[in-house]
Amino acid sequence: MSIEQQYRTRAKELLSAGEVKMVIGYGAGTTAERRRPIFITSPDETERLVLDSACIANLSGYLVTEGLLSDEKRVAVFLRPEGIRALNVLAAEAQLDPLQVVIIGFDLPKGELKSLQGSSVDDFTDLLGALKESTPDVDGRELLEKIEKMSPEERFAFWQEEFSKCIKCYACRQACPMCYCRRCIVDSNQPQWVNTSSHTLGNFEWNIVRAFHLSGRCVECGNCDRACPVNIPLRLINRKMAQEVLDSFNHFAGTSKTQEPVLASFKKDDSETFIL
Amino acid sequence: MSEPFEPKITAFVCTYCTYAGADLAGTSRLKYAPNVRIIRLPCTGRISPMFILKALQKGADGILISGCHPGDCHFTHGNYHARRRWMVFRALLSFTGIPEERIKYSWISAAEGLKFADLINNITEDIRKLGPFDQYHKLIEETQAQASL
Repeated sequence: MSIEQQYRTRAKELLSAGEVKMVIGYGAGTTAERRRPIFITSPDETERLVLDSACIANLSGYLVTEGLLSDEKRVAVFLRPEGIRALNVLAAEAQLDPLQVVIIGFDLPKGELKSLQGSSVDDFTDLLGALKESTPDVDGRELLEKIEKMSPEERFAFWQEEFSKCIKCYACRQACPMCYCRRCIVDSNQPQWVNTSSHTLGNFEWNIVRAFHLSGRCVECGNCDRACPVNIPLRLINRKMAQEVLDSFNHFAGTSKTQEPVLASFKKDDSETFIL
Repeated sequence: MSEPFEPKITAFVCTYCTYAGADLAGTSRLKYAPNVRIIRLPCTGRISPMFILKALQKGADGILISGCHPGDCHFTHGNYHARRRWMVFRALLSFTGIPEERIKYSWISAAEGLKFADLINNITEDIRKLGPFDQYHKLIEETQAQASL
């Protein structure tokens, strides 16, 4: 039986036994190579579920939809390891109770579908721990290294060029499971910290703020990168910041549901080489 | 005839240590460069990265952030939190092309009036050498340009 078939059966069992009230999974998209999230509440609908190498979106963000988990019933969700990390971060930040989430885990190493054993976040602790040690194979690694070698002026010019494309649609924010604030800082206008117009300065400020708020929280699922309609390499900044918190504070976001958020904690012997 | 460049420096300081240090510099009649605009905040932990962006947005050429030495925080650990935040924010600014030399961080206690005066003089000289932050100023000008139809 294919993994897809197994998981359909599992979703069906969970729903008919009343263990979960909803299954969040992937369904057919508008074109053959696209998948869209589907929200299934009846066992008969589980045939609509699709699971293949095109299921790359991180669905964990839907769990913090307002009111979804407030009735204390459980929800099952299809998650890749990044999604499980995101779930841990959300739990650590007290956005949801991880016991209410049944994980249907899968992975896509090199585009090959693989099932992951376990159903609650704690079942994946070893897997996530191992991820911390592995060197991530990210697209654009060469570009990242190239940017790091540039002079500040060149880097500034590079990012201005990229950010000048930004149309401030905030799709990156919408797609990100970590961007759950009811009121985003760019939507606040008293005081207005960030220029909301889509001129280069406003775009620059928005992208800096976004990247900073994700520092030490981003799980590099790539949702923002894929959502960006003008293809700004948002992932590169997130990657850089993830590397920075790993190097400076040995912090890898989302390894456990009780992990302390890196910017809400400190050690007395944190590095301070740059302070005069 | 053009006037020599005078850098604009914004200093975000905590009220318990660095501001008191600046006060000491004043009461000790120490002279230091007049290029710095000091903004007093309750604690370094209150210094949001937004402040740095805002200062740049308003045309600062350099920024100083200063507070109590580790262990001396009036609120016991505000400066520890701030230190982590700066570490990350500094890396982010550097990665996006804001030169690290333009944003300085220091610990200055209420007893270090001399250190404060020296630091301001040094920073002013450093920024003077770097020149105005033209790259950023150009962005600011763009925002003020009339919309063309």
